[in-house]
Amino acid sequence: MHDRKDRIEELGADVVFVAFDEPDELRAKLVAGVDLAFPLAYDPARESYGRWGLQRSPWWKIWLDPGVWKAYARLLASGERLRGGGTDALQLGGDFVVAADGTVVYARPQERDDRPPVGELLRAVKELGS
Amino acid sequence: MSQPPRVGSPAPPLDLPTLDGGRVGLDGPRERPVIVSFLRHAG
Repeated sequence: MHDRKDRIEELGADVVFVAFDEPDELRAKLVAGVDLAFPLAYDPARESYGRWGLQRSPWWKIWLDPGVWKAYARLLASGERLRGGGTDALQLGGDFVVAADGTVVYARPQERDDRPPVGELLRAVKELGS
Repeated sequence: MSQPPRVGSPAPPLDLPTLDGGRVGLDGPRERPVIVSFLRHAG
């Protein structure tokens, strides 16, 4: 994460993570023992998720997705233990790049449990400077 | 429920507290672009 932070700072961008779990839940599960490289905002009411058009997935898109099970298998193989599903396993996220003038220059709302490669986000930032 | 913002459209509002006691927002002019990542659950 910190290598990525250096790269992102080289490109002159900021990063904000937004989560919908309660702050105590985030401290216990997501960031326990982690030196956060970027601000982590919280929005348990999920108003920002609604404003940004991020929906809840139908259950079958998550739980019948082989990619989800492969991801769990990878985590277990790497020694991670499975934890509870948080407050809502069906809420989807998304990744966006917003230019300094407030215009969206990259938008990837999730349709299933996937995320774009970091390089894709960095390319969108880099193109702003070219 | 709104639709996700499209490329070329203005970013929807964002003004939230952060775990370290600060706030983040997109209101007003910025000097730098920002990557906004909405996470799924913390589990």
